[in-house]
Amino acid sequence: MQAVHVAGAGMIRFGKYPVDVTLEKMGEQAAREAMRSANATPAEIEAVYVGHVFGGPVAGQRIGARLGLAGKPVTNHENYCSSGATALREAWIAIGAGIYDVALVLGVEKMTDRVKGGVQPDKDDLDAAVGFIFAAGHGLSARRYMEDYGATREQIAMVAVKNHQHSTGNPYAQYQHEVSLDQVLNARPIAEPLGLYDCSPISDGAAAVIVASEAGLRRLGVERAMAPRVDGCGLVSGTVQAGLGDVNEEDVSWRAGQEAYRLAGIEPSDVDFVEMHDCFTIAEIVRLEGLGVLPKGQGGALTAAGHTSLGGELPVNASGGLLSRGHPVGATGAAQICELYWQLTGQAAGRQVEDAKVGLAYCKGGSVSGTDGASVTTIVMSR
Amino acid sequence: MTSTSFRPDVFAADSPTLLGSRCTACGRKAFPHREVCPTCGALDAAETVELSKDGRIYSFTVVRQAPPGLETPYVLGYVDLPADEVRVMSRIEGVTPEDVAIGQSVTLTARRDERAEDEDTVMFAFARTDQEDR
Repeated sequence: MQAVHVAGAGMIRFGKYPVDVTLEKMGEQAAREAMRSANATPAEIEAVYVGHVFGGPVAGQRIGARLGLAGKPVTNHENYCSSGATALREAWIAIGAGIYDVALVLGVEKMTDRVKGGVQPDKDDLDAAVGFIFAAGHGLSARRYMEDYGATREQIAMVAVKNHQHSTGNPYAQYQHEVSLDQVLNARPIAEPLGLYDCSPISDGAAAVIVASEAGLRRLGVERAMAPRVDGCGLVSGTVQAGLGDVNEEDVSWRAGQEAYRLAGIEPSDVDFVEMHDCFTIAEIVRLEGLGVLPKGQGGALTAAGHTSLGGELPVNASGGLLSRGHPVGATGAAQICELYWQLTGQAAGRQVEDAKVGLAYCKGGSVSGTDGASVTTIVMSR
Repeated sequence: MTSTSFRPDVFAADSPTLLGSRCTACGRKAFPHREVCPTCGALDAAETVELSKDGRIYSFTVVRQAPPGLETPYVLGYVDLPADEVRVMSRIEGVTPEDVAIGQSVTLTARRDERAEDEDTVMFAFARTDQEDR
């Protein structure tokens, strides 16, 4: 397949916006920023890939019509929280196959006017019927992780402390302030042992990138040095779990990681930094272990020791992650790609990972009763 | 009073019973009923079976914030059925949030489904028992 690059990125600050800041307005603004960043006019964009969950039918076309992109092929991609990353993967496949040279990928979500109390699986899902919400799933995971590996509540809470510290350097983050360990430990409980600061917020937002082949880069006039390569986009779905195994085995993360490493031709040890789907503190720990970038059962202790902090051995969520940047579900995957682009092109002032050469972005979306997840995307980019 | 199951395919409400499947190819059980065996992948080899009522808590959480329609707090857990080697996600009742613990023995019961319009609708739950914990 032909090489695929990110030629430009744009997003709006994630947060809670008034009702009149609509999905369409947010999507339009992020897309315009990405197009400006890549010198792309509407005429140069050949296809549009949009990830969203709660945007309703054909949200992508509604936004495209506002961008001068009416008439182009537009597709809408729903894979719950990995929708934005799934949209990128579709663009990567199409450009890699030589069908297009320049495409727009957009992740967008309006949540604060339509989601209350936490996100759930489909209402007909058996787990949802007995009271499962995503926070509860991660509470179950955290309790068992502490039991099996001797991890402490404090170690898990340090994920929130670290990511909030990182967020102070990210102008696009919903929250840009530090939180103390005491604040995390003493916050209002949500799904014990997890409290408010262990949970990513319900947010509005949009993020977009322009992806291009080498011919596309020439057409846009974007230098190769300013267009990191998308080395591989892994996608797996969860498998039906049988028996009484470890709920934190993270086989779905392992398989997604293997897929990305295979496609990119790298080893886990080649990864310099990670944007991880920390929808909940514990999730960052067990998913990093599943990916094989941290040893099993040691993620909590390593987080507390600064291993995954900026300046540490493997910086994770230099952006502040979902916990601080916010989590407009369909936009998150695209925001991670924006962050990889800014890090790999040295444009992440205030949170720059030193000598960032290879970045990995991980998203996990949704749940299906009895499985270890619905969709996981793993994207490797290098400069 | 007769009660109605929230999901008759997985739970018989009168004399509460969980309905799972047993693979006639490999003998492993699953919950809920799975037409494709999650262990060996056999197709169309599943027979419906009643599962054991005795479980133990594998993990639990106390949910204190939930979407509208769900009364909080409530205890949600993974309950292992050792006799069937099956794990079930379920409400856990008959124990306070302060006293619930991993490893406790629980027994199958029925509880009202507060989100159902019909007051007779029940879902499965597991309740704390006096048995020795494992």
